[in-house]
Amino acid sequence: MIASGFFIAGAVVCLASLVISVVATIVRQYPDDVAILSVAAVELFLIVYSIAAAARQIGGEPIVGEAWEFWGYVLTALIVPVVAFWWAVTDKTRWSNLVLAAVGATVFVMLVRMEQIWQGGVFA
Amino acid sequence: MSERQTGLGRIIIAVYGVFALSASARAGYQIATDFGEAPVAYLLSALAAVVYIVATLALASKKPGSWALSTGAVVFELVGVLVVGVLSFAVPQLFAHPAVWSHFGNGYGYIPLLLPVLGLWWLFRHRPAEPAGRAGQAAPDRSEEAGA
Repeated sequence: MIASGFFIAGAVVCLASLVISVVATIVRQYPDDVAILSVAAVELFLIVYSIAAAARQIGGEPIVGEAWEFWGYVLTALIVPVVAFWWAVTDKTRWSNLVLAAVGATVFVMLVRMEQIWQGGVFA
Repeated sequence: MSERQTGLGRIIIAVYGVFALSASARAGYQIATDFGEAPVAYLLSALAAVVYIVATLALASKKPGSWALSTGAVVFELVGVLVVGVLSFAVPQLFAHPAVWSHFGNGYGYIPLLLPVLGLWWLFRHRPAEPAGRAGQAAPDRSEEAGA
């Protein structure tokens, strides 16, 4: 098991980023710096998570579910904050904050799926 | 002129793009694997996919006439969701398997029902000031992002 500590940390980072970005959508008319940083924090978490997952797998700790499906989620999730950052750079409106908000929500859902695949069956 | 394609407009285009991809993939898969199970539902899924593709391209286009084509596609989408939604409750045997627009798109969190309403609202806030063709860059958008 990839320790529920990882899941809790990831959930906190994702939900904090979601809240910050939703607030930024309301109060800012341009992409907010803190919202962008919060999305960077999500990306940082995902990088640490994937390195830890690789280390555990190489160290002999098996994934209960399908390994290709787990890594498919990891790689896709790693792309999400990058796309949102590119979006915020290329569209300097209030609405980029909403796109940044989608990162926290999306990555959180994907993280739940990753944990399910890693541990097998329904995530408790 | 490009106000229509920035901010919320860009998000709307992206959501249409996602639906164009997922509806195409789903309809293609359904028709290829078990078309005989619910041919009407699956053909309507394919129709939905085509409408989403047209809407995505028209919304993203800056050419004259793209506003009218966008509006046509989105109105068609809204009518489609409503008609298919009603049919799926009235004649459920035709919809043995869920399609994109059946039950008003509940399989997709009712986004197929909300999306055309949002799209129409956006398009009417950003309609060209003059009939398509002449407007060029002289068409100022009536709405400001800040006011949204």
